Amino acid sequence: MKFSLQTLLNVEGNGYGLLNVRIFGWILYGLTRRDVLVPSEILRQMIRIGVQALPMASLVALSVGFILAMQSSTELGKLGANSFIPDLVSLSLMRELGPLLIAIIVVGRSGSAVAAEIGTMKVNEEIEALRVMAIPPVRYLVIPRYIALMIMLPCLTIFGNCVGLAGGWAVCASTLGMTTSFFIEHAVHRPELWDLYSGLIKSVVFAHILITTACYQGLSVEGGADGVGRATTNAVVYAILWIIIADALLTGLFFFVL
Amino acid sequence: MKSTTSTSKNPPSDIILEVKNLVQVYGKRPVLNGINFQVRKGETFVIMGGSGCGKTTLLRILIGAQRPTSGSVHIFGEDITTASPQELDRIRLRFGMNFQFGALFQSMTVGENIALPLQEHSQVDPSLIEMVVKMKLELVGLTGFENFKPSEISGGMRKRVGLARALALDPELLFSDEPTSGLDPVMTAVVDQLTLDSTRKIGVTAVVVSHDMTSCFRIATRMLMLGSGSRQGEIVAEGTPAEIKANPDPFLQQFIRGEADGPIPFRLSQDDYLKHLLGDG
Ligand SMILES: Nc1ncnc2c1ncn2[C@@H]1O[C@H](COP(=O)(O)OP(=O)(O)O)[C@@H](O)[C@H]1O
Ligand SMILES: [Mg+2]
Repeated sequence: MKFSLQTLLNVEGNGYGLLNVRIFGWILYGLTRRDVLVPSEILRQMIRIGVQALPMASLVALSVGFILAMQSSTELGKLGANSFIPDLVSLSLMRELGPLLIAIIVVGRSGSAVAAEIGTMKVNEEIEALRVMAIPPVRYLVIPRYIALMIMLPCLTIFGNCVGLAGGWAVCASTLGMTTSFFIEHAVHRPELWDLYSGLIKSVVFAHILITTACYQGLSVEGGADGVGRATTNAVVYAILWIIIADALLTGLFFFVL
Repeated sequence: MKSTTSTSKNPPSDIILEVKNLVQVYGKRPVLNGINFQVRKGETFVIMGGSGCGKTTLLRILIGAQRPTSGSVHIFGEDITTASPQELDRIRLRFGMNFQFGALFQSMTVGENIALPLQEHSQVDPSLIEMVVKMKLELVGLTGFENFKPSEISGGMRKRVGLARALALDPELLFSDEPTSGLDPVMTAVVDQLTLDSTRKIGVTAVVVSHDMTSCFRIATRMLMLGSGSRQGEIVAEGTPAEIKANPDPFLQQFIRGEADGPIPFRLSQDDYLKHLLGDG
């Protein structure tokens, strides 16, 4: 087991697939050794790429809550079905909009930062210096960021769902005269656990796409500052593209196939 | 498993670095064209040459940062050009590299930069690492700068931090890319003295790239000059400092004396210039 893992980590090359292989290899390897996964560094990255995205994520989630409630009230109101607004807000947040929009915000906020940071290190020969010191850049730079985001994005998503619900409640309570208890009861009782879980699975997949794309673009920077700029743009564009495609696939899988 | 056979052959033990028929081609232009040399234990081997002649390229190949077009590089008897990443890491723990532009980690302080290789590769506890960091900084004349970021110190100081970091793990072999360019004369002397102390007192073998003649002759036990222009890619001369001084090669002498007139071209010839202007060169 250990030997095959070692050979896995020693495959040469720089492809995106290989980066994924290396990440999983190092995490597996890290489970057997204490010095590979450094908790303090992971925590630092969680704060940098997760916690600091909190204000922006909340603002987006709150706005989405407002939008959902307002939009649905115009149509459902005509049918006299205003009482379904809480269900609709909470379902669409949990299944779809929470994971997707939070992921997109974090791509813009943290994905670009990671790509730019690693890219600048590449240009500055810091990546080369790590290699020459026999410190694998994937283990030292990518792994802490990877684990940090895999933990933080689902957390941000749950948090965003709550904030979004609060936004929906604000609209319902202020303009539709709905009581708070009514809103909470419907918003919480209607969704099943699977609705929450499917959203969280999505956000884990999105986190993987986000951070691997950002790190890959950063590590493949060539040239100078222009290369860093290009990598940052690419990281954001490709991450969003693949996140949306993955979302379509997963939605199909969760709600039509399974 | 080629490297296993080459290690088991056990080359003469005092040859630490052996370069054979090294060729590096960029596009179609050969930057290094059949370079051969050996470095023995304890030597301070200086590689000289004009800007752009391929000194950094040569060093990058020597440390395994880049694979050459062809040729081999044996360090401690192992071929670094064919080594697997795992073997490379093992060899790399035995040498230090001081990059031309420092390559310091911008997000870390000076102290953390020097501490990193120690934290990663030795089991000593943090208080001891802190002490080693202080010692290394004292060595390069930067006591008290532990908590500065690389962006907060001057270029010359950065180069000295790079040197301190390269020496952090007390390597057997030190590669240094233009360690004194951009330093004032006093600091040049300090860095040269440091190289001398490491090599003569501790027994480190050093491969130093430089185009600063004073500093070259101060530290070298043997030197090599790479050609440029019409002699791009070849070795112009190799020998002890005395032999190099006595070598009549006009190219070499122009470089040592730093004269503008001589065989080293810095402009196109009349014909080439015309051709270049007319756009068919
Ligand atoms: N990655 C590269 N691709 C193409 N050409 C390169 C590359 N790196 C260096 N060169 C060329 O090789 C030559 C030698 O560069 P370098 O080794 O940095 O010179 P030195 O360190 O002696 O000043 C230069 O002419 C440079 O343009
Ligand atoms: Mg150079």
